[in-house]
Amino acid sequence: MSQTPTSMVKLSAIDKTWADGTRALNSVDLEVPEGQFCVILGPSGAGKSTLLRSVNGLMRPTGGNVRVDGLELSSASERELRRRVAMIHQHFNLATRASVAANVLSGALPEVSMARALCGWFHPEQRKKACHYLERVGLKPEHLHRRAGELSGGQQQRVGIARAFMLDPKVVLADEPVASLDPQISRDILTLLKDAARELNATVICSLHQVDLAREFGDRIVGMRSGEIVFDGAPEEFDDQRLSRLYQNADWGDGQPGQVPEDSLELDSAGGM
Amino acid sequence: MNTRPIPVPPQGSRLHWHLDQPFRLKHLVIAVLILALLLITGHRTEMDRMVTMTTQAVGNLVGLNDESQVVRGLSKVADSMWPPQMATSEQVARINDFNANDIPLFARVENRETTTQRLNEDTLQLESTTETTEVLYDPLGYVKTVFGKMIETLEIALWGTLLAVSLSIPLAWFAASNYSPNRVTYTLARGFISLLRSVPELIVALFLVLAYGFGPIAGVLALGMHAAGFLGKFYAEDIENADKQPQEALEAIGAGKIKTVLYAVMPQVLPQYVAYTAYILDRNLRMATVVGLVGAGGIGQELKGRFDMYDYGHVMTILIAIFLFVFLLDQLSARIRSRMI
Ligand SMILES: Nc1ncnc2c1ncn2[C@@H]1O[C@H](COP(=O)(O)OP(=O)(O)O)[C@@H](O)[C@H]1O
Ligand SMILES: [Mg+2]
Repeated sequence: MSQTPTSMVKLSAIDKTWADGTRALNSVDLEVPEGQFCVILGPSGAGKSTLLRSVNGLMRPTGGNVRVDGLELSSASERELRRRVAMIHQHFNLATRASVAANVLSGALPEVSMARALCGWFHPEQRKKACHYLERVGLKPEHLHRRAGELSGGQQQRVGIARAFMLDPKVVLADEPVASLDPQISRDILTLLKDAARELNATVICSLHQVDLAREFGDRIVGMRSGEIVFDGAPEEFDDQRLSRLYQNADWGDGQPGQVPEDSLELDSAGGM
Repeated sequence: MNTRPIPVPPQGSRLHWHLDQPFRLKHLVIAVLILALLLITGHRTEMDRMVTMTTQAVGNLVGLNDESQVVRGLSKVADSMWPPQMATSEQVARINDFNANDIPLFARVENRETTTQRLNEDTLQLESTTETTEVLYDPLGYVKTVFGKMIETLEIALWGTLLAVSLSIPLAWFAASNYSPNRVTYTLARGFISLLRSVPELIVALFLVLAYGFGPIAGVLALGMHAAGFLGKFYAEDIENADKQPQEALEAIGAGKIKTVLYAVMPQVLPQYVAYTAYILDRNLRMATVVGLVGAGGIGQELKGRFDMYDYGHVMTILIAIFLFVFLLDQLSARIRSRMI
């Protein structure tokens, strides 16, 4: 199949209906070029996580197909594809009882032989790389042997980012990476993520529910609501007027007023479909 | 979110207050049934006879009556059990490659005279002949034997535990519903675990002695198999209940199931695994003293042999050794536990 050389992720007509009948994605098309920092914006329940998880096959769509780096996602290609697609999680998803070093190194596991994995005997280059990224995300050597669960939320997400970059990913999926962090730390983390991705020319698809962060960090904003894309454009086009029109009655679910203009602040639980 | 308000009756409606007794006829019937059950089962297990015999024994001890089967039986055994047997003596002539310069510590060679009466066929008179035999007398010989058997018991327990751990790790993999390859392997693994758990060590050992002969092999296998059932079940359940988030993180990059378990599940469950394994080791140390009773090696086998030969002095030595062993074990585990916390 022909495609533009710059298209890194291409979702075509993705449908997802959960077993309980919830229509989480409704024929979503999305094409993300190489190196872009693409923000998926939407209130809670809009289908952001479902969309992101369709890219690496953590979620099986009911319909449509997914292409990453020219490779079509299928059960045969899934393993190969996942090596090129890293993921950063809202709840960091670290092994909290394991050391920071072990967590970062575990990001290289797909490329480590079983024998090495069993003894924890990672290649010297991988150890060096783990240290490099930990320094890059602003942690100190004394954090290496600390248990991941003992770090603060912001530090844990830094470890999560370091882990994600261990395999030089082509695509980084970040599912609300800063949803459980306070605003200042959120900015630091997103800056880090954006800079690290730029160095590798990695494509980032980052879901957010904070409008101001989306405007600040996105090269492009894709607005979602109820499983559909309702906006797709540059941050400058996403002005307050548009925002209030698109997200009237939406439940942003984070109790942070001020991100949505006053006139659309009627919290309504029906919005979270 | 979905809280229901407490219903409030409309104004003016009459409320019915009443407070029941705590017990009703139903409870009385249940109490009578339980009592009947206790009486029947108590009679079947001869609890009534036990009470009579114990009363007699107590009466005998305080001098109220002069016959008690229990006291008679116990004192007969106690008489023959004291003192505990410590020494061994062995005819030098029966020892292979005996070297008089190389005998165990504290041991000595003695001359024993044995007198036998025999009828002289010529004179038709009873004559006594005296023979002198050389004997190796070791005052602590039996203590050493028992010590050796205790070490063997310890080794049986250790190897039983080792076997259990190495059997239960693959078993746990197949018995964890989220990692077992399919429904069939899951059901097979769970079934096998139940089977291993359901048969007591002693019964397994009984059959293994038939297969492998007397000795520690049967003991190690019996302890290992039973404990593998226990560990397999608990290891598997911890894998199933482990936090899913770190597992998802590794699944998302295609690390594969085994590596995911190693790096996302193991760190979480390891402290529990150590606790289960320590429990099994403790249990095996105790059980290893017992499996010998059916011939599966260790101190139990020595005990059974001596008991059957009415060597109650030897039995006493063994009992003391077992008591000391368990006592030391308890001290040790208490100390380790207090250090770990
Ligand atoms: N495993 C699931 N089973 C059933 N419904 C689900 C499941 N996961 C998500 N959903 C539903 O799909 C919709 C989209 O969810 P999600 O993608 O998590 O939204 P977002 O990440 O934007 O908050 C929601 O209505 C949610 O309730
Ligand atoms: Mg989500």
